[in-house]
Amino acid sequence: MSLLEVRALSAGYGPVEVLHGIDLDVDHGEMVVILGANGAGKTTTMRAVSGTIGRSGSVTFDGVDITRTNAEKLVGMGIAHVPQGRGTFPDLTVMDNLRVGAYARSGGIAADIDRWFAVFPRLAERRDQRAGSLSGGEQQMLAIARALMSHPKLLLCDEPSLGLAPLITQEVFEVLKKLNAEEGLSVLLVEQNANLALKVAQRVYLLETGTVVASGSAAQIASDDAIRKAYLGA
Amino acid sequence: MERFFQYLFDGLSLGSIYALLALGLVVVFRGTGHLNFAQGEMAMICTFVVWQFNDWGVPLVLSIILGMIVGFALGAGVEATIIRGVAKKSQAGVFVVSIALFLGLNSLAAMIWGSLPPEQLPGLFPDEPDDFQRIFGAVWRYEYIGVLAVALVLMGLLFLLFAKTKFGLAMRAVASNPESARLAGIPTGIVLASSWGIAGAMGALSGTLWGGIVGELNAGLMFTVFIYASAAATLGGFDSPGGAVIAGLTIGVGEQFLAGYFPGWIGQEMKLSAALLTIFVVLLVKPSGLFGSTKVERV
Repeated sequence: MSLLEVRALSAGYGPVEVLHGIDLDVDHGEMVVILGANGAGKTTTMRAVSGTIGRSGSVTFDGVDITRTNAEKLVGMGIAHVPQGRGTFPDLTVMDNLRVGAYARSGGIAADIDRWFAVFPRLAERRDQRAGSLSGGEQQMLAIARALMSHPKLLLCDEPSLGLAPLITQEVFEVLKKLNAEEGLSVLLVEQNANLALKVAQRVYLLETGTVVASGSAAQIASDDAIRKAYLGA
Repeated sequence: MERFFQYLFDGLSLGSIYALLALGLVVVFRGTGHLNFAQGEMAMICTFVVWQFNDWGVPLVLSIILGMIVGFALGAGVEATIIRGVAKKSQAGVFVVSIALFLGLNSLAAMIWGSLPPEQLPGLFPDEPDDFQRIFGAVWRYEYIGVLAVALVLMGLLFLLFAKTKFGLAMRAVASNPESARLAGIPTGIVLASSWGIAGAMGALSGTLWGGIVGELNAGLMFTVFIYASAAATLGGFDSPGGAVIAGLTIGVGEQFLAGYFPGWIGQEMKLSAALLTIFVVLLVKPSGLFGSTKVERV
């Protein structure tokens, strides 16, 4: 059984339905990417999975039906969500951001903070600065480190490349890839930068106006001519 | 010089009461972004509750603690039942609701306790004519010293709560980014209700201290204090607890100096206008207050 099983998931905002019954799986230790144009429903999918917006259909995580579970409970079950753009607490220091990340658990927090400081040395240098004063790339790294402080089994990462310089984006993706490969962290990634995403992910879902129009292994998708034309620009 | 110290000291003591109420405003504002117009009336009701317990024979200190518990329950209850539902639909609605609460609580107090002869709330501290100490020639009444001490201790505890506890961290996180706070597993509902509860409890204490100084309770007890507290919160910055305390003390001292040194044209009557003028000028010149943060964010 997959770690995350999404079936006939529909969601939207008020009377507007954005997501029209999608199916999606993330296996243990797998890195899956959702590709799609602006407005395809990628962020909505992430929000629906983590329960921050109303949804119908079913979401099963680690064998437990979480369709009716509160968003604030999920982190304790092992789902960490880095929302698009602002995953940090701008008024809190870097240290406090990481402490908030460990809110749902206890014990070994100081050691974990040290660990992420080792992975992201620039965060260590800025440990007492307010997160809002960090650069975009540093904030994104902090958001990811903050999410990882909860010891998740599944990391939902919504467009980590947004607004970042290419070099920084690559750095962020390297870290995700490493965590996935070395620690078996399962990742569900939303990304507009298809070329980059296809390099790190094992499987791909292609989203168009709220439905899955194609899915397959990263290699399959990358070699599909029609998809290449539409999404990879070559 | 004697006069200077007298005004300074009286001002600090009264200012600490404004600061307590202003802190309540700030705690609520930081958590939910709302200005709670009913803050003063919640404090007034709780002061009556303290008096009522005391009148039933409960020792005063215990009555005050009970009053603060009632204040916490009142604040948390109002947030969870009324404010949260309205805030989902309309932010402007919250403003109207808090004014309705202001009027409702005021009428409620008048209805329950208004028919009795004016109640005397005993002071928490010795308040006989000779209960004072002369320092720098100024009269330091024990009651005023006590009020200042109690207010400062409570504020100190509150700052420890903010800075050092996991709950304080959660409050700061919710104030900074509610969506990510939820995703980090913080029960935002409980945190917000608690913010209002803490504001209610601080209101109860500030009302009781003020009631002890005024001596006589009535439904209008907290009206002027609320104006001063609003001025303090505006001056200090609505999202800055430290600013609220400093501004509260400053306004208390300023009030005494203005009324004391210019009795002719400011005096007791125009003090309140001076506070309102402060609000006006601060909003005009520096809307974020002296210590408030302007929302600037790098992306």
